[in-house]
Amino acid sequence: MGIADGLGEGFAVALDPTNLLYVFLGVLIGTVIGVLPGLGPTATIALLLPLTYELEPVTSVILLAGIYYGSMYGGTITSVLLQLPGEAASVVTTFDGYQMAKQGRAGPALGIAAVGSFIGGTIAVVGLILLAPPLADLAVEFGAPEYVALTLFGILLVTYLGTKHPVKALCMAALGLLLATIGQDSITGTGRFTFDQVELFDGLDFVAVAMGLFGVGEILYNLEKTEKAEQIKARIKNIWPSRRDFRDSSGAIARGSVLGFFLGVLPGGGGVISSLASYGMEKRRAKDPSRFGKGAIEGVAGPETANNASSTSAFVPLLTLGIPPNVVLALIYGALLINGVQVGPQLIDTNPEIFWGVIASMFIGNLMLLALNIPLVGVFVQLLRVRGGILAAFAVLITMAGVFSVNNDVFDMWVVLAFGVLGWLMKKTGFEPGPLVLAFVLGSILETNFRRTMLTSDGGFEVFFTRPLSGTIFAFMAVVIVYSTVMGIRRRRRGRPAALYAEQLEEMTPGAEDEGAAGVAASGGATSSAADPTDRRTGGDRP
Amino acid sequence: MRRSASSAPVLLLLAAGGLAGCGNGADSGSGDYPSEDIRLLVPYAAGGPTDLTTRTVGGCLESELGETVVVENLPGGSGALATTELVGAEPDGYTLSLVTAGTMVLTPLANEVGYTVEDITPIGVMADVPSVLAVGAESPYASAEDFVAAVEAEPGSVDVGVPGASTPQGIELQRWADEHDVEVTVVPFDGNAEMTAALRGGNVDAVLINASQDVTGNIDSGDVVPLIASSEERLAWLPDVPTFTELGFEGLTLSGSTFGLAGPADLPDDVAGTLEDTLQACLESDEVREDIGEQYVPEEFAGADGLAQVLDETQQVYEPILG
Repeated sequence: MGIADGLGEGFAVALDPTNLLYVFLGVLIGTVIGVLPGLGPTATIALLLPLTYELEPVTSVILLAGIYYGSMYGGTITSVLLQLPGEAASVVTTFDGYQMAKQGRAGPALGIAAVGSFIGGTIAVVGLILLAPPLADLAVEFGAPEYVALTLFGILLVTYLGTKHPVKALCMAALGLLLATIGQDSITGTGRFTFDQVELFDGLDFVAVAMGLFGVGEILYNLEKTEKAEQIKARIKNIWPSRRDFRDSSGAIARGSVLGFFLGVLPGGGGVISSLASYGMEKRRAKDPSRFGKGAIEGVAGPETANNASSTSAFVPLLTLGIPPNVVLALIYGALLINGVQVGPQLIDTNPEIFWGVIASMFIGNLMLLALNIPLVGVFVQLLRVRGGILAAFAVLITMAGVFSVNNDVFDMWVVLAFGVLGWLMKKTGFEPGPLVLAFVLGSILETNFRRTMLTSDGGFEVFFTRPLSGTIFAFMAVVIVYSTVMGIRRRRRGRPAALYAEQLEEMTPGAEDEGAAGVAASGGATSSAADPTDRRTGGDRP
Repeated sequence: MRRSASSAPVLLLLAAGGLAGCGNGADSGSGDYPSEDIRLLVPYAAGGPTDLTTRTVGGCLESELGETVVVENLPGGSGALATTELVGAEPDGYTLSLVTAGTMVLTPLANEVGYTVEDITPIGVMADVPSVLAVGAESPYASAEDFVAAVEAEPGSVDVGVPGASTPQGIELQRWADEHDVEVTVVPFDGNAEMTAALRGGNVDAVLINASQDVTGNIDSGDVVPLIASSEERLAWLPDVPTFTELGFEGLTLSGSTFGLAGPADLPDDVAGTLEDTLQACLESDEVREDIGEQYVPEEFAGADGLAQVLDETQQVYEPILG
């Protein structure tokens, strides 16, 4: 099917009244949860996942995708107004966005973020259209060794490179891999760690684990904090950026679109890496870098564009290879599986309505977001007044009813509660759930494909390096490891923290949700320190 | 969040309805069966061939019997979750389930699940989905003879995908090696889609695959070329494809899937009789045959005895291998 035919079919699907309603609901929910600190796209999608069971597969993906990129818009609002990132990818926006708000320029900051997000999102959709079908053709060539290489690469990026504390992240990834071994052995059918419990034959349910760690864990953690969000009194006036603002940020938006797109495609990529990388790039390119951190509009435009572009391009590996590049996409992957859709290279052929329908809905969703954001900014801010306790009670109720509905199995509700407590403890002790969940998902893909490789190669390892595709990926991994090690050593010699933005992230994100793919060290080691961390603090937002 | 809040009560109601349906079935006499909702379990996830078949039959049972039939997917534990639910239910005809040789024979033999094939009352066969040994469009093996010759020339050199670890297809390939000295390397995949992708990408040499509707599409388009059929006689819709038996491999007829309908053990005779008759009537309807797939509905109705025979045969063959 050609691109024109595909898009034609896609718009036919996306313009169906039901789907139109769900894309609207998706972007609206996304914006709302983006505004609410503590509740990010991962937790929301985890909570809503079981409800999508009642929807058509394409409708559920349209809804969940809308939440994902919608949250990228919404997160900006509180970052700018309250210096409180609504979700992790908007952390960077607080650097200059809040400064702009203090100068009475909240309108242009939000306006340029909305415009940039729209452009970034749209460019990424075009990239998705052009890149996905050829990638899918390539992906048919993907055999077991390639999947081994790619899943290892994903785990490497998310754990070793992608976090503040690589050791903690590695621990969590190891735990995730271990948890993935529960259940019947995929090659021999023998039960492992099942204790003859029928409920454990298929392993722990991914939805229950993710909902527990992200949803319930997050809720428990937020309940502990009683402080109210600090309101800004400054009025939001003249939302539209001036012509000069546009001129200043057009370059940042263009670069952010491209950068965000490519970082989003990488396993472990996603919002945080791309917005940090874009901020670093803009600051490095600026004639006067000292303006950054004091209200430079490029510092808002670039990162906001990039995080939106990456949230769209992250669909490329999922829709073409069946590999979720980050945790949010892993949840969407789960939604498709629940609906009986096999995700993989054949998806474009077997379910063109899903592939093209979702793409078309992204065009529509981005337009809706632009229309929603500009006039409704003032309204969204009111949402911050909803009491945390009320939200939490509703969320737990929905979670429990929801997880039961996936498999009609009471056991899964216990899994949610157990992992909820674990998630809360992890959050308190600084262990991120992201690497655990991603390793849990990728673990079974990795193990099965590794053993398939061993079966077909009669136990020989050389096949990983002699096949061109997997050999290339392994070589690339080696380069990444060597590069990051060298950079780490050099940075330590100069007395800088090992992870580039670690301190800022530490300062800025206690209330925001980590995306799991929070790639910090990976994002351009050459950009030196960003804004001065002592200069900013989140209004009493620490436990 | 708003949307989800409004959906929660609906879900709870649904759950409550499900519980109520199974709770008060015991007090009704069997003479006026059925007089309340029937729960029909599917041990697999929604969307697959088992689900499609059960929903089609469930819809017909509902209109024939005049009572609501609630089809419920209870995937998990290689079918053990739903089957445990079935064998634990009151034998009153208000809890029924789809059964296969996989859920009733393979799973209890391979794992400690607390039930055996004796714990159900067979009602009848809903559908028969054969397996085919198939290769990709660019395969060097043009015929069954080519394939077998290549395997015999170099045992273990040919990789054959199967849909899962303990599946009838996997055991069949093991029997091919044990009983007929045709030794291929068995590579388990997760379901038909993964296998088809691997075959098209040349990452396995062949597959032994359930010829359900997703696969027949690929056969029609020429992407998947069937070489050998698992059925006892040639398939009417693949008249040129020989069977394992024809090629001299006696007894390799168990890799297909039989979708049966069953209730818990000790189902009263009149209830079982009503269900068997209704199932037969349903499977004679053109609409039902078309929805399930004409080629999968047995030409001649196989009732309780027919289903019992399939399960017992499989049990006898598999017990020495797995037990």
